[in-house]
Amino acid sequence: MKNELKKLEKAALAALEQVKSSADLDAYHTKYLGRKGELTGLLRGLKDLSPEDKKTFGKATNELKIELEGKFKMKQNEFEHAEISKSLKDEWIDLSAPGTTTKRGHIHPLYQVQEEVERIFQQMGFSVVDGPEIESEYYNFEGLNIPADHPARDMQDTFFIDKKADKDEGRLVLRTHTSPNQIRAMKKYGVPLRIIVPGRVFRNEATDASHEHTFDQVEGLMIDKDISIAHLKGVMLEFLQRLFKKEMKIRFRPGYFPFVEPGLELDMSCIFCDGKGCKVCKKTGWIEFMGCGMTHPHVLRAGGIDPDEYQGWAFGFGLTRLVMMRYGIDDIRHLTSGDLRFAEQF
Amino acid sequence: MKISLNWLKSFVDIPSDVTPDKLGELLTLHTAEIEGIIDLAGEYDNMMIGKILSVGRHPNADKLVICKVDIGQKDPVQIVCGGLNLFSDMLVPVAIPGAYVRWHGEGDPVKLEEAKIRGESSFGMICAGEEIGMETDNPEGATEVKIKDLSHLKCKPGTPLSENLNKNDAIFDVDNKSLTHRPDLWGHYGLAREVACILKTPLKKLDSFLKFKGAPGNEKLNIKIEDQDGCPRFSGCIITNLKTKESPDWIKAHLEAAGVRPINNIVDVTNYIMLELGEPMHSYDRGFVKKDSLTARFAKKDETIETIDHKTRKLTEEDLLICDGEKPVALAGVMGGVNSEINDQTTEIILEAANFHASTVRRTSTRHGLRSDSSQRFEKGLDPALTEIAIKRAIVLLQETCPDLKIASPIVTIGDWKAPKIEMTVDPAVISNKIGIKISTKEMKRILTSLEFGVTESGKKLKVTIPSHRATGDVDIEEDITEEIARIIGYDAIPAEMPHLPINLPIENEERFHKHATRNILSAELGFTEVMNYSFYNEEIFQKFGLEDMRHIKVLNPLTVDQTHMRVSLVPGMLKSITQNQKNFPEMKLFEVGHTYQEVGEFMPLEEKWLIGAVATQDKKESFYEIKGAFEVFQKAFRAPNVSLRDCHTSPPYAHPKKCLEIIMRGQNVGYIFTLHPAVAKAHNLEHQVGIFEVNFTKLVEHGRDPSNFKPLPKFPSMTFDVSLLINRKTQVSDIEKAIKKGDPHKLIKDIELFDIYEGKNIPEDKKSLAFSIKLRHNERTLNDQEFQDTQKAVFKEIEKLGGVIRT
Repeated sequence: MKNELKKLEKAALAALEQVKSSADLDAYHTKYLGRKGELTGLLRGLKDLSPEDKKTFGKATNELKIELEGKFKMKQNEFEHAEISKSLKDEWIDLSAPGTTTKRGHIHPLYQVQEEVERIFQQMGFSVVDGPEIESEYYNFEGLNIPADHPARDMQDTFFIDKKADKDEGRLVLRTHTSPNQIRAMKKYGVPLRIIVPGRVFRNEATDASHEHTFDQVEGLMIDKDISIAHLKGVMLEFLQRLFKKEMKIRFRPGYFPFVEPGLELDMSCIFCDGKGCKVCKKTGWIEFMGCGMTHPHVLRAGGIDPDEYQGWAFGFGLTRLVMMRYGIDDIRHLTSGDLRFAEQF
Repeated sequence: MKISLNWLKSFVDIPSDVTPDKLGELLTLHTAEIEGIIDLAGEYDNMMIGKILSVGRHPNADKLVICKVDIGQKDPVQIVCGGLNLFSDMLVPVAIPGAYVRWHGEGDPVKLEEAKIRGESSFGMICAGEEIGMETDNPEGATEVKIKDLSHLKCKPGTPLSENLNKNDAIFDVDNKSLTHRPDLWGHYGLAREVACILKTPLKKLDSFLKFKGAPGNEKLNIKIEDQDGCPRFSGCIITNLKTKESPDWIKAHLEAAGVRPINNIVDVTNYIMLELGEPMHSYDRGFVKKDSLTARFAKKDETIETIDHKTRKLTEEDLLICDGEKPVALAGVMGGVNSEINDQTTEIILEAANFHASTVRRTSTRHGLRSDSSQRFEKGLDPALTEIAIKRAIVLLQETCPDLKIASPIVTIGDWKAPKIEMTVDPAVISNKIGIKISTKEMKRILTSLEFGVTESGKKLKVTIPSHRATGDVDIEEDITEEIARIIGYDAIPAEMPHLPINLPIENEERFHKHATRNILSAELGFTEVMNYSFYNEEIFQKFGLEDMRHIKVLNPLTVDQTHMRVSLVPGMLKSITQNQKNFPEMKLFEVGHTYQEVGEFMPLEEKWLIGAVATQDKKESFYEIKGAFEVFQKAFRAPNVSLRDCHTSPPYAHPKKCLEIIMRGQNVGYIFTLHPAVAKAHNLEHQVGIFEVNFTKLVEHGRDPSNFKPLPKFPSMTFDVSLLINRKTQVSDIEKAIKKGDPHKLIKDIELFDIYEGKNIPEDKKSLAFSIKLRHNERTLNDQEFQDTQKAVFKEIEKLGGVIRT
C-alpha cells in the first residue's frame, strides 16, 4: 500500500508536469482525481484493510489527495490566468459605436415646467387648485371688477359659447385667464388662502409665432391679515430664484388690471444677460414677467371675504411664455403642433 | 400715444440732469409704461454748425481737402474732408469726436474719434446730409461727393445742429394699455402733472393758458342736450373773422412730434387741444350748420351719416349724434360728419367741446368698427370739467394765427354735470400696512397735493378730496389712494419680505398629483410621449368619428372654421397627432391628458379630464395587444383600485366593434381599449395600425390608488411545465386560463403565462395554436413528482374538455 501511494504520487506529479493545455488538465483530473480515477480507486481499496492499516493509510491517502488537488487547482488557475491574459490581449470592441438604446417617452415641456412651478409654490405653503375652462361671464369678468363695456375687455378677446345666457352669471365664455379661480377658491376654501391655479386659457386672437389662442397661465392668490406688497415681492423673488436657480432681481411698476388695486407689473432681471442688457430684453436688462397687485375689495367681496378684515394679493403669469423662455423655443405654435420632433427634445 | 418732451416742458420744469432716458424710466416706474424713446436731440449730440475758413489740398490724397473750420471754439479746428463743393465762409454741419454718424449714409451709426487721415489729423468730420439723418446730398450715381450746405441758416458757428433743425425734442411712446384706467393721462398736461409730482417741481397752472384777448359777442348759439346720460356736459362758441392758413412752427412741431399731421390752423387747434388736455374737440364750418344749432341726441332708427372718412354709416338708436337744425353733423365722440368739415374758404366756425358717456361712445365705436383718437379717449371716462377749458384754450390758440378773430357768441356751457365733491377719509396706517413700509403722513400729503388732490389732516386720518380729473371712476376707494402713494414713493423702495404665516398645510390636490404620476409612468416606464392638442375641432371632424350624437358645445365666435366646437373626446386630436407624424415616425407611442366638454342640460357644461394613450405601428402585428398590454402595465404601476377589463357590448363609434374592451371600475365604465374602426382608419389614410386606450381620468383617480403590498418571497422552489395546444380560434384565452386553473387538484398553480399565439400556415383554418407556461409551487414544502404529474394531467384533461388538442 505504501508503495502504491508513493508510486501514485510520483506518477501524478510527473504527469502534472506534462500537462500543457486545459484539455490535458481535464484528462489529468479524470485519470487521477476523477470519480473513477486512480486516487479514488485507492481510497476505495481502504475498506479492505485492517483497522490499523486503514487508519495509517487512510491518513496518508487523504494527505496525498489534498496535495494533488492543491497542485491541480494551482495548475488550473495558471491556465485560467493565461487565458484571461490572452483574451485581454486579443479582445477589442469599437467603443465609439453607439450604445444599445431603448426608446424613452417624453413629458410635454409645458407640464414639466408646470410641475416644477407647483412644487416650488407648494414648498412655500401654497395649494394647487383647479377650475373649469368654460366659465361664466360673471366669474371671468364681472366678479373680477370688469363690468360689461369696460375697456379692459378689449385686452382679452373672448371666445363665447353659443348658449343662452344665465340671468345671474351671464354668457358662457372660454376663460380668458385663470383669475376666475380667485373667486371660486375664496368661496370654496375661505380665508386664509394661499393658492396657485395653473391651467389652460383662451383668447380669440390670430395665431402667429408669438400669439396663440390657447395657452397656459399660472394664477396666484394670497389672502390673510396684514399681507402687503412687500410680501408679494418676497414670494415672487424666492419663486424666481428657485426656478432659475440663480440670483435674480425683480422690480414693480404701475400696471392696470381691474381686479387689483394697486395694480402692478413685475419685471425680472433678464435671465439671458443677468440684467446687463441684451437682445432678448431689448437692452433694458428687464423682462416683463407678470401682472399682479393687491386684490381689489370688490373681488374680495365677490369671494365672500370682508375687505376690512382681510387683504392680500394676486398674480398671473404666462406659463407658456415661461416655458418658451426657459428652453429658447422661438415659435409658440410648436407647443400645440403635436410634432414628435419637437416633443422628443424634452 | 406719443408725448413730446418739449411740450411737457411748457408746463413743468425738467432739470437738465434728467435726461430723456431717465425721464422715461421714471414715468415707467411711477406712472405708465414708456415703450420707447426717440431722443431727437441726442442724435445730434456733438454736432454743430461750422464755418469753413479755408480749403487747402491734402498733401497725400487727391480726393481729399484739408479745411480750417470755425466751430465756435477759441481756435479753428482742422478737418479732412472728401467733399468737393466746399468754399470759404460756407456753413456746414460738423460732427466732432463723440458724435454718431452713418458713413456715407449706410450701416449703423458709428462713434467718431479724433483721427489721422493719410497722415493729416482731423478733428471729426464735415457731413453730408445722409450721414446725419438729413436729406441726402449724394443721390445714387452721383460722381462727386457733396457736403450739406447750410449757408442759408445764417447763424453763428458753434450753434448746436439740433437747435437749427428743430430736432431738440425727445418723443416718448406711452403704452396705451397702461392708460386704460387713467383718462387724465391722455394729454400732455396730465403727464406733466405726473412729472411735476415725481420730480417734485412745480406745475404751471392751467388757468394761465386760457387767457384769450377780447370779449365774447352776443350772437346766439343754440346748443341742446336731449339725453343727459349720453352727454353730461356740452360747451360751444361761435368764432368769426377767421382765415385758414398754416399753423405757426411751434404748433406744427408739437403736432408732428405727437404723430399728427398739421392741416390748417383751425383743424390743428382742435387736434392740439386733444393732445394737450386730452379733450377731443370738434370745429364745424358755421356755413353748413343750420340755425347755429347743435343738439346731442340719440339717432333715430335707420338714420345715416357720412363720416369724414367718406363712409356712410347706418345708425341705431344707441348711437349718440350731434345734429344741427336739420341733420346729423357728427357721430358724437367718434368722428365728425363730412357735411360740415372745415375747408380753405372757412371763415366762421362753431367750436364744440362736449363730454360723452364712456360706454355709449365705446359701444358706438365697436358697433361701427371705428376707433378714433377721440373715441379712444372718451371711452376711458373723461373729466367733464374740460369742455369749457378746451373752448377757452382753443380761442387762445386761434388768436395765434388770427389775432383779429371775433368771439361772436358767449362761451355757452350746458348739461347736468356738477363739479364733484368726492371726499373720503383714509387711514395712513392702513396704507402703510398694505404697501409694506412706513410712509410718513407728511409725505402722503405732499404726493396727493402735488397730484391736485385736496388733503386735510383729521386726527390720525387724512381727509382727501378727489380732483375732477380723477373722479370719473379712476379714484373712489382707499385702495386707489394707496396706489397713488405707492407708485409715487416708488415700488423700488419696498423691500422683498417673506410673509410670517402660521403653518397652514396646503390643501392636497390628489388629482393633480396623480396626473403628474401618470405622466411619469407613461413616459419613463412605457416610452409614451406627451402631446398637447387644442380643445377645439369642427363638425366635419367629429362626424368622421361618429360623434354627431354627442351633445357638443359650440363656439359662438370661432377663430377659424376648423375650431367651431369643443371636443367631447381626445380621440380626434390624437389621430391628428398620429397622421401628422406618420411620415417621420414608423412607430409611435403617444399620450395626452386634457379636458373634454359636454352639454348636459345645466348652465355649466360637464368638464372632465381624460387620459388617452395610443400606439401606432407600421408593423403587421395586432396593435390591439400592444395597447392592451400598455394599459395593463400602466394600471399595474398606477394601481387604481378595482379596475378590470371586459368585453364591450356597445363600443364607441370610432372603435373596431370586435376589437374593443371596456375599462371597468367598481362596476362602472370608465373607458375603452380598442383599435380604430376600419372606416375611421380609412378616412384618415392611416399608414399605421392604431391601438388606443382612453380613460376618464377624473373617475379613475376618484378613489385614490392602492398601496403596493409586499408579499413574502417564496421559501420553496417552483416547477414549471409548458403546454402547447391547438384549439378553435374563437375560444378565448381567458376561458382556457380558467380551464387551466380548474385542473389544479392540489392547488399548486401560481402563474399561467401565454407565451405564444399563432394562427395561419400549418394550422387548420379554424384553429389557433397556443402555448402556456404554468408555474407550480407548494407554499410549505418542496413539490413532489406525484403532485407535479397529477396537476399536469388534470390541466391537459380540462383543456381537452374545452376542445383543445394537446401537442406536447
